[in-house]
Amino acid sequence: MSATDTHIAGLGAQTTLRRKRQMKQALIWTGVLVFAAWCAHGTIIADTDWSRVGGRSGVLASIGRYMQLDLGLLPELVRPTIETFMMASVGTVLGCFFSLPVAWLGAANVTPSKTILYPVGRFLMVLSRSVHEIVWALIFVSAVGLGALPGILAIAMRSVGFISKITAEAIENIDAKPVEAIRATGGNQFQVMYYGILPQIYPVVLATIIFEWDINIRRSAVMGLVGAGGLGLLFFRQMNSFNYGGVSMVILAILMLIILGEIISHYLRKAVI
Amino acid sequence: MSVLSVKDLRVRYSANGPEILKGISFELQSDDFLAMIGPSGAGKSTLIRCINRLVEPTGGEIVLLGEDVRALRPSELRRLRRNVGMIFQEFNLINRMSVMDNVLSGRLGYTGNLRSLFRHFPKKDIEKALYYLDRVGLTDHVDKRADALSGGQRQRVGIARALMQTPKLLLLDEPTSALDPKISREVMALIMGIAKELGVPALCNIHDVQLAKEFCNRIVGLQDGVKKFDGETATLRDRDLEEIYAMEVL
Repeated sequence: MSATDTHIAGLGAQTTLRRKRQMKQALIWTGVLVFAAWCAHGTIIADTDWSRVGGRSGVLASIGRYMQLDLGLLPELVRPTIETFMMASVGTVLGCFFSLPVAWLGAANVTPSKTILYPVGRFLMVLSRSVHEIVWALIFVSAVGLGALPGILAIAMRSVGFISKITAEAIENIDAKPVEAIRATGGNQFQVMYYGILPQIYPVVLATIIFEWDINIRRSAVMGLVGAGGLGLLFFRQMNSFNYGGVSMVILAILMLIILGEIISHYLRKAVI
Repeated sequence: MSVLSVKDLRVRYSANGPEILKGISFELQSDDFLAMIGPSGAGKSTLIRCINRLVEPTGGEIVLLGEDVRALRPSELRRLRRNVGMIFQEFNLINRMSVMDNVLSGRLGYTGNLRSLFRHFPKKDIEKALYYLDRVGLTDHVDKRADALSGGQRQRVGIARALMQTPKLLLLDEPTSALDPKISREVMALIMGIAKELGVPALCNIHDVQLAKEFCNRIVGLQDGVKKFDGETATLRDRDLEEIYAMEVL
């Protein structure tokens, strides 16, 4: 076979290959579109009570009701707003305490037992994250009654998953050299962790905690929906009494609180890193 | 007097892995500054870590300061380790801590958990740290963070930390490999000066043969886990070096 022949044979193979690839892509995109259409049909078209939606003006009027703010609610907003903020903060701190042992168990390089306790640690991380904060709140409301306490516990439980997972990963990624040095000085297990590991992970862990606290403000704002204190409770009451202006006021309060949290965490993060 | 005696030391990192050290024996006398030379991968770092059991040997015997190292229980091992100062190739400092705290961490073997938790070291330890920081020439850098220093300065912190242990033996794992030639010489001179002054023997892994000849009174040559040379520095011939480094003379 001459050089030109090989060339032509190669060209033929390339063309077939490219055509096959294009066919495959077209097939995948068709599949995606069909799936999306099927989902839209099932949820929006078949599942909506179109007769109740009304005309365009009806929709706008419903939304318009929320625009007339109920400023009289202002004095009632102060306490729940502060309570929401406190629930988020206390819940985050409590979550950090719960996260410590979980991270220790679930970090492959420091876990006391790789066969038994490591999977336990990993399972606790998944458990914490896979149960929604509202579900945690429902559990604790039935356990300790109404008020801020079940909200705090729910937030703490929900925080463990993320904080301990990131902490465990930070521990797994540390530089082993300082650890070796502390072992060489005759340091015990605690000293090795406190001097060899902690200084290496603490910027990451602190940033994670601040991030989690930021999220927890959002979480604690809805805790009241199931009776676990904070702004959510007020929201629920305004909604039940059809005071749409009041609902908007609560939403605005939540918004302000979240913006505040955002600002604080921005500066905290800067201070840490 | 023999401070350290190693007999038929063998190490494997995994049950069916290759043998890294294949029966090494040597002695270290109380006035020795012994250089362990050999090419990369010869097992120098593994050997030096066996002596304070940062690496667990799989066979042989190590007698250090009259104790059978391999037979020690964890608490006894920690007590032994605090008598052995170690200086590392990459300094192994805690970067986010101050120079002072790094030096003080050399005292951890002597410090209780509660004091460690609050970094509340006894006053005499702080005095001692200041003395050694002065001795290694870092008086102006006491409160800086360790990662703010240059390589040579960091190794001086490492030296001060090792000295804080009031060591009876110094283990030096390639203390100058991360430094430039001029700083290397300074650091070696500093370590040797202090070792002589305190009367502490040293075992020094080093691949720079020139430095080894200049500073060490005895040389052990290692190649592929086997000892190829053991003798006074003056008796080291070019032929021995060729064997250790398996150098082809062109």
